[in-house]
Amino acid sequence: MLQCIFLLSDSGEVMLEKQLTGHKVDRSICAWFWDQVISQGDSFKQQSVIASPTHYLFQIVREGITFLACTQVEMPPLMGIEFLCRVADVLSDYLEGLNEDVIKDNFIIVYELLDEMIDNGFPLTTESNILREMIAPPNIVSKMLSVVTGSSSNVSDTLPGATASCVPWRTTDIKYANNEVYVDLVEEMDAIINRDGVLVKCEIYGEVQVNSHITGLPDLTLSFTNPSIMDDVRFHPCVRFRPWESHHILSFVPPDGLFKLMSYRVRKLKSTPIYVKPQITSDAGTCRINVMVGIRNDPAKIIDSITVQFQLPSCVLSADLTANHGAVTIFSNKTCTWSIDRIPKDRAPALSGTLMLETGLERLHVFPTFRVGFRIQGVALSGVQLDKLDLRVVPSRLYKGFRALTRSGLYEVRS
Amino acid sequence: MAPPAQTNRSPSPSQPSGKSEVTDLKLQLRQLAGSRLPGVDDSKRELFKKVISYMTIGIDVSSVFGEMVMCSATSDIVLKKMCYLYVGNYAKVNPDLALLTINFLQRDCKDEDPMIRGLALRSLSSLNVANLVEYLVGPLNSGLKDNNSYVRMVAVIGVLKLYHISASTCTDADFPAVLKHLLLNDQDTQVVANCLLALQEIWSGEASTSEEALRERETLLSKPVIYYLLNRIKEFSEWAQCLVLDLVVKYVPSDSNEIFNIMNLLEDRLQHANGAVVLATAKVFLHMTLSMTDVHQQVYERIKAPLLTLVSSGSPEQSYAVLSHLHLLVMRAPYVFSSDYKHFYCQYNEPSYVKKLKLEMLTAVANESNTYEIVTELCEYAANVDIPIARESIRAVGKIALQQYDVNAIVDRLLQFLEMEKDYVTAEALVLVKDLLRKYPQWSQDCIAVVGNISSQNVQEPKAKAALIWMLGEYSQDMSDSPYILESLTENWDEEHSPEVRLHLLTAVMKCFFKRPPETQKALGAALAAGLADLHQDVHDRALFYYRLLQHNVTVAERVVNPPKQAVSVFADTQSSEVKDRIFDEFNSLSVVYQKPSYMFTDKEHRGPFEFSDELGNLSIGTESNVPAHVVEANDKDLLLSTSEKEEIRGAGTNGSAYTAPSYDSSLISIATQAQPDLAISNAEVAGLSPQSSLAIDDLLGLGLPAVPAPAPSPPPLKLNARAVLDPGTFQQKWRQLPLSVSEELSLSPQGAAALTTPQALLRHMQGHSVHCIASGGQSPNFKFFFFAQKAEESSIFLVECKINTSSAKAQITIKADDQSMSQAFSTLFQSALSKFGTS
Repeated sequence: MLQCIFLLSDSGEVMLEKQLTGHKVDRSICAWFWDQVISQGDSFKQQSVIASPTHYLFQIVREGITFLACTQVEMPPLMGIEFLCRVADVLSDYLEGLNEDVIKDNFIIVYELLDEMIDNGFPLTTESNILREMIAPPNIVSKMLSVVTGSSSNVSDTLPGATASCVPWRTTDIKYANNEVYVDLVEEMDAIINRDGVLVKCEIYGEVQVNSHITGLPDLTLSFTNPSIMDDVRFHPCVRFRPWESHHILSFVPPDGLFKLMSYRVRKLKSTPIYVKPQITSDAGTCRINVMVGIRNDPAKIIDSITVQFQLPSCVLSADLTANHGAVTIFSNKTCTWSIDRIPKDRAPALSGTLMLETGLERLHVFPTFRVGFRIQGVALSGVQLDKLDLRVVPSRLYKGFRALTRSGLYEVRS
Repeated sequence: MAPPAQTNRSPSPSQPSGKSEVTDLKLQLRQLAGSRLPGVDDSKRELFKKVISYMTIGIDVSSVFGEMVMCSATSDIVLKKMCYLYVGNYAKVNPDLALLTINFLQRDCKDEDPMIRGLALRSLSSLNVANLVEYLVGPLNSGLKDNNSYVRMVAVIGVLKLYHISASTCTDADFPAVLKHLLLNDQDTQVVANCLLALQEIWSGEASTSEEALRERETLLSKPVIYYLLNRIKEFSEWAQCLVLDLVVKYVPSDSNEIFNIMNLLEDRLQHANGAVVLATAKVFLHMTLSMTDVHQQVYERIKAPLLTLVSSGSPEQSYAVLSHLHLLVMRAPYVFSSDYKHFYCQYNEPSYVKKLKLEMLTAVANESNTYEIVTELCEYAANVDIPIARESIRAVGKIALQQYDVNAIVDRLLQFLEMEKDYVTAEALVLVKDLLRKYPQWSQDCIAVVGNISSQNVQEPKAKAALIWMLGEYSQDMSDSPYILESLTENWDEEHSPEVRLHLLTAVMKCFFKRPPETQKALGAALAAGLADLHQDVHDRALFYYRLLQHNVTVAERVVNPPKQAVSVFADTQSSEVKDRIFDEFNSLSVVYQKPSYMFTDKEHRGPFEFSDELGNLSIGTESNVPAHVVEANDKDLLLSTSEKEEIRGAGTNGSAYTAPSYDSSLISIATQAQPDLAISNAEVAGLSPQSSLAIDDLLGLGLPAVPAPAPSPPPLKLNARAVLDPGTFQQKWRQLPLSVSEELSLSPQGAAALTTPQALLRHMQGHSVHCIASGGQSPNFKFFFFAQKAEESSIFLVECKINTSSAKAQITIKADDQSMSQAFSTLFQSALSKFGTS
């Protein structure tokens, strides 16, 4: 079980220390940790489980803040990591963003939250909906309220009703004048196109996000027109398993507010919406580079935010790149970004230029990988479609909204 | 544990010492303490906030403890919370002042607001001062009966905290029984989960001293409790679900119907959004089905998709942990994943340790149908910016080539690597081509043509150079200029720093000489001369050896140097299957991430939150790796040490069908020793070991826990090292050198003689007494064993030869010892252990 949680700023300063058990963990562990970060650099920051001389450390980094948890006993690693992720989520939800200042300003709230989230090293309540009822977030409204009413407590007087209810993610007495529920399909496309231009891997990871503001205890059912194409589905705890098993229908009592209802994967897709064709030829110390971008399968919606990013090999001394559309930026770390945004109707965007290689090097041996970004609003490329959303008891003035969005995930083109 | 923090902490130089500020605060707090003015709470709050912020940045503010306590009389809950936080942090270093807080905390424990009751109770139990536990019992008692679940939840954890401060107070107040009642009856699932957590820790802690606790701990694993928890599992919070699943892993269902019921009940847990729940469920599935080979395969199929999704959808931190688990599964059952190979393709911006895992998995899942695509993919990595990964991927291509029958395409690719003209690519490819040729000599023509074009000047890495030289020697008849290349290499003998390369060069020149004598003669002479003058012992010796061999008889020399070659069919594997099995048993733990079983990286006392553990862990077969069992005397015909038998068991174990034939192996000892770290096998204790009856059997069924003997009444005369290791060579040598210490004949109990149907039975038994077998053999009725044992914390070794005749129930033992003075003590220990065999 976890023994201690530290929050470190991006300069290694301990912003917060929360001891969880009787065995105190000395702060010197942070000094050790930070020494390692400095000496080993980024690769160390990416390791989620680290063995220090005295403790096992779990770390996650969010917005420059390192969340560090220590333990000396064997435990499921994902429990530690997942918990830290939840802490980060809850904090950024509460404090409306995460950064050094906001944590230092609200450290009392962070302590209060941690107090409720974990006791004696074992995670308790990590649902942000419930925590909100125990500890009020430090928003302007509550600050105003406290000034006006004179009661300056940010702790609600009552215990959350949900802890006793059978639907632990929702309180029973929620009231809205306007009832609204929004369902968003958000998909990310991961693809790899190899050196020969063959699509070797293409799949979509999708999430169904729901934002619900409905009075009482609503019971919702959501169905898809083609649920069979979804590969591996995972649900929010509110989803009942049986209706999905038998009819592929999502039946649930939603938490209040925004939450992730389910996630899914669609595998073995056959094509990507845009193509990126890099060509690199090199001869006698110079290298010609030419990248073409265009629409392959028109999704009938506008594709925007198109970017192409690549790392120039270290053996490149200088680069001279121009594009007939969009802006090309080369950063000091030799990362090159070409932002196209939308593809113009009249011409295909192309980037071309020359790279000067190190002296003595005839040809380029290391080829860059092009990472492609795009966004399409209004369509879920996997083909998943929402059919309908029903409520068992329809309240007055109900507004239902659907949206879809596809963006690129890890989309890379090798050259 | 870390040293107590406060006592020796000095403010770090970069931070303000804050002395004057603290004095300031002290004064201000004192002024406010008695004040009842309106608005005083706001000023207090500002001050408290300052105190806590100092505490947070590491300034010692323990000196204002008294003032803080004085100011704590307030109705403001935020003030209270800050005060609780402060008190919890400093009570331990100010035990006297902590007494002052008891009063207000106890009062708060009776507050109307359940939130305050809960918080006060939590702070009270977190004070962590041994003198104050008497004040804790009352509030905890009422807290456990509170009608608000929040308070009960806090109180349950409070009991656990009390247990860690003072175990006796906790048990005297009969808290475990109350918790057990709550566990089975409370409405609130969080209370139930906390009870489970607390009881597991308390009973495991008590189990070493109390029979009752031991029984209680077993009842947690009984069918009614497990079913009660499983039926409510959906009501539990996600973390509590992990806890329950962790318990279920240790439960052993009575028949396959039960297993299917449990798996059906838990199946939807695999679709939970929390990765920890998914992995815990996967562990339950894997362990439950170990004995059912077919179902076990289906389980792999079933858990595959959720795990693959976790890898691709979670945060990078999560994906690494899941990927490590997936890696373990892929290594165990590569064929299950052979159609999912695309998931293991490396993404450009992944950290290299993730890429490395993925490369290993790609290598493992390669089969006839997907090899082409995997190799194509791997070849793309060879041009990777990340040079270590480029190297790894070339090696991976080579490994696949060595696994596969259809190497046609792969050889072409490898040869293309050689033409890429990048140093490290060429180097890695050369080593691989060499290995390939050893396995598939039929490819020599194609390879040699390409290798011949490589200039030896371009190859600098010793391994690659050695490989190139090996090929030059081996195929000198096909490479027209090999004698001349070798000759030029010989001329640069002094510039060659690696002895490995020089050794290979010597041999290659020899080989070449026998194939093309006239052209090589000069090089041979030069090489031998240089070799003889070499400062490296091995090189010198080999040169001398060749020289004398040639002097003695040239045809013999040719037979030695150029014997007909046999293709190598299997290359040795590096990580032993025992270790892999061991890690598999620790699925869903840190072991998997480190790719080492926990005993390799954790101290004993840290190996688990409590020692409930490994009934199932024990069921693994093939952890005998601690006992190097080899034939000691090859000519001793009756020493048919069952290495082969062991292989069989182990092989079956990996198939999952040998569940019923577990070994009573060292991991059990580790549990026994875990429960009581200094468990000593003394005479007195061995005599008192009767509760260990049916130990092995219970363990087979996974029901019982190792009965831990009562503590030894007197300091034990002799302790043995439970993890002693000795290699057969040393054993043999010592056996020859050491004088005879004890030689006795004793009789075996009739049960013991009856139980000895195979040597294994006794081996396991003796291992339980920290006596390890190095070799055994024979058939009923005559058995012969060689044992060894090592004194704890010393290198002193005892060696035993033991001949047993089961029909006459007689055993003849011969003991030799490093430390003669201890040999008699050891002999008694050994005999008593032996006499226990079968009776237990």
